[in-house]
Amino acid sequence: MRMKQLRKLVVPISLVAVMVLAIPWAASARKKKAPTAEGPSQVSEALSGLPAGLTLDEVVILSHLPDQQIGVEYPIGETINVGFLCALSGPDAGWGLPGLTGNTIWIDAVNKTGGLLVGGVRYPMAIHPFDDEAVASKALQGARELVLEHDVKFISAIGGDAAKATAPFLTENKVIYASLVPTDCDPSRPYVVAGGDITPQCNMFNALIAKMNLPSEEELGRPLTYALTTQDCIMSRQVGAWEIGAAKAMGFKIVYEEFFGVDTTDFAPIITAVMATKPDVISLCEAWPEYQTMMWEQLFLQGYEGVVVQNYADWETNLTKIPPEYAAAQCGIDSFPLMDDPWWGETSWQASFTNVWNVRYGPGAPEDVKRTMTGIDWDHMIWLIPWSIGAQIAGEETPGEWPSNDAILAALRAQASFPTILGPGHMSGKEMFGIDNMIEEPVPMCMFDLEAKDKRIVAHLNFEPWYASIKPVVLKAVEERGQMYYQR
Amino acid sequence: MNTQLLLQTTANAGAVSAMYALIAVGLTLAFGVMQMANLAHGHFFMAGAYTVYALYALHDWPFWFAVAAAVGIGAVIGLAVERGIFRPLRGDVVGGFIATAGLMFVFEVFMGEVWGWGHMRQVPSPYMRAVKFFGASVSFQRVLVIPFAIACIGGLLIFMRWFRLGRALRAVAQDPEAASLQGININRMTALAMAIAGALAGIAGGLMSTIYAVTPALGGHIILPALIVVVVGGMGSVGGVTLASILLGFVMTFVTTLVDGVTAMMVSVAVMALVLAIRPQGLMGHVVT
Repeated sequence: MRMKQLRKLVVPISLVAVMVLAIPWAASARKKKAPTAEGPSQVSEALSGLPAGLTLDEVVILSHLPDQQIGVEYPIGETINVGFLCALSGPDAGWGLPGLTGNTIWIDAVNKTGGLLVGGVRYPMAIHPFDDEAVASKALQGARELVLEHDVKFISAIGGDAAKATAPFLTENKVIYASLVPTDCDPSRPYVVAGGDITPQCNMFNALIAKMNLPSEEELGRPLTYALTTQDCIMSRQVGAWEIGAAKAMGFKIVYEEFFGVDTTDFAPIITAVMATKPDVISLCEAWPEYQTMMWEQLFLQGYEGVVVQNYADWETNLTKIPPEYAAAQCGIDSFPLMDDPWWGETSWQASFTNVWNVRYGPGAPEDVKRTMTGIDWDHMIWLIPWSIGAQIAGEETPGEWPSNDAILAALRAQASFPTILGPGHMSGKEMFGIDNMIEEPVPMCMFDLEAKDKRIVAHLNFEPWYASIKPVVLKAVEERGQMYYQR
Repeated sequence: MNTQLLLQTTANAGAVSAMYALIAVGLTLAFGVMQMANLAHGHFFMAGAYTVYALYALHDWPFWFAVAAAVGIGAVIGLAVERGIFRPLRGDVVGGFIATAGLMFVFEVFMGEVWGWGHMRQVPSPYMRAVKFFGASVSFQRVLVIPFAIACIGGLLIFMRWFRLGRALRAVAQDPEAASLQGININRMTALAMAIAGALAGIAGGLMSTIYAVTPALGGHIILPALIVVVVGGMGSVGGVTLASILLGFVMTFVTTLVDGVTAMMVSVAVMALVLAIRPQGLMGHVVT
């Protein structure tokens, strides 16, 4: 090669080399830890006789386990690997990334006691994250890596397209896939579990709470109207069908029901189209965290004056685009409450979780995530904890060895009730989804509170009796949309 | 479509057209002078957005100072890319295309490692209000883009017509060999073109950091509409970019409102194909002989 040609290559190669070297340097510079924060005094207090490093709040967090026997020595078994297969980047990251904190808090607390006590053996736990970017093909790649390389027995996930893509492989390997949404449950997917996330129940309750905040049809002299718009994905289609069914059962007239592309970047025309139908309620349904912020912005800018409901609102983000007075005026109804909501009380599992989270991930903490705690930080624990409970119960039948996931699920189904983060739960779902793989527990509903400038629980509702009263209308709507489990 | 919907959609389309024009004008300038597509142009835009995030959102700089810094950052990046990629690969169209495609990934990974991959970065709206036109409401932040787009395009046209350096740029765009024979330093002109292109992308990114989600993937979302505008308008034609931005802005907005966004993108690409079939050089481009 001539010198002239070589000289041409020197500069671009140097440029690339500088960029490649700069990336790890930049990454390491970013990961420098902040000084350790001083937490509340009660968090650092440890009862005598407990394993070193275990705090009182962590003992409370572990209290859901029926047989952890903290402080009692048992033989240590193999490490049980747990996967975290979610969007850790991209517009859906708001439903995945925060959940790592809660799962890590649980696993670290368990490990401080020596491990999860199952059948007389303590099994340490380890978590393995994989970013599927809410892309089905990446989710399958991640599932294969987690199972084949890390031998995970349980995977926390978001669900939807990813649940469909990974179900055959995970079913073959008998690995539990804990989706956030029970609409992923299906008799052909015996290891897909969900429900701890209270979707679609909270979406269905949105119609009830919205109606309670609107004038009556008699006062208006016309039916109340309901519009739904969200990104077009499997989860949205499934959950949206149940929500529309509930809205119809509540007497709403559906005036708009459209799904926009997942690549949408401009939400002005989306909101213009919805508002043209003059709805009393606009549902953002399963709008991804990034999208719901921009949709709220357009609702504010285009002057929408009705009620806004959705599955999950990220108020820390939303309030950078809209004034809190607007959010309060439009009610801002959703679920996934905060664990520091006064509703739970000052002495509660939720309060202890808040303390542990703030000391570890809060402002100035060693692993400061540079945001406030959200309703997703605990959302993935909500199946990890019952799975751990089920393992302890099933392990009594197979002392000395880790029970199979079939045994764990059977053990949970046999319980009349077991503790969950949101209250007493039990396995359910056969009628709605064809298989009892859903946890049914009380559903907390939130509205935006102007004083708190965040969401606050306004009701904690029992789904089953309400659903029984509206079932025929709901099932008809879901069937019309081809979203029943036997139609997919 | 009722009158209110028509007015609101037209207002939305006008704002989007200005956004596309501001994004694409730098790309067409660079293409015109260097005869190579800069696929990393969207990432210059992203760099501008992150500059405003870092200075305004994190360090409380005044918004307009942060936007000015974004202009400078964009210009510096443009100069670096011209020196490091386009100059050594001058004349090698495929090589330049591949190199800038690779640069896209380098930028994206770099931003992701520095700022994180997870949530979108929050850039608070400095003007949290809407402007009303005959009953239609448009965000003030979007309306702001319109005068900036007009100023940038108008300024560029004036510069290229009335200023010596601008005429030299046009000469290099039309015939680099003849321009070189006239004593015009090609390297300086390409550097100037990329600096201006980078600065325009920086100002676009800075202004629109409160409109789009600021993530490492932002550049990838921006480059496709920008390329469509440049191709439809005519590569190297600033006037063509203006016309194509209006066309694309209205098509995208109206079709999204009446149908959906996926159909809107399909229609936009179909419009591009139709224009190219009838006028391969674009609406206001020049036939290359």
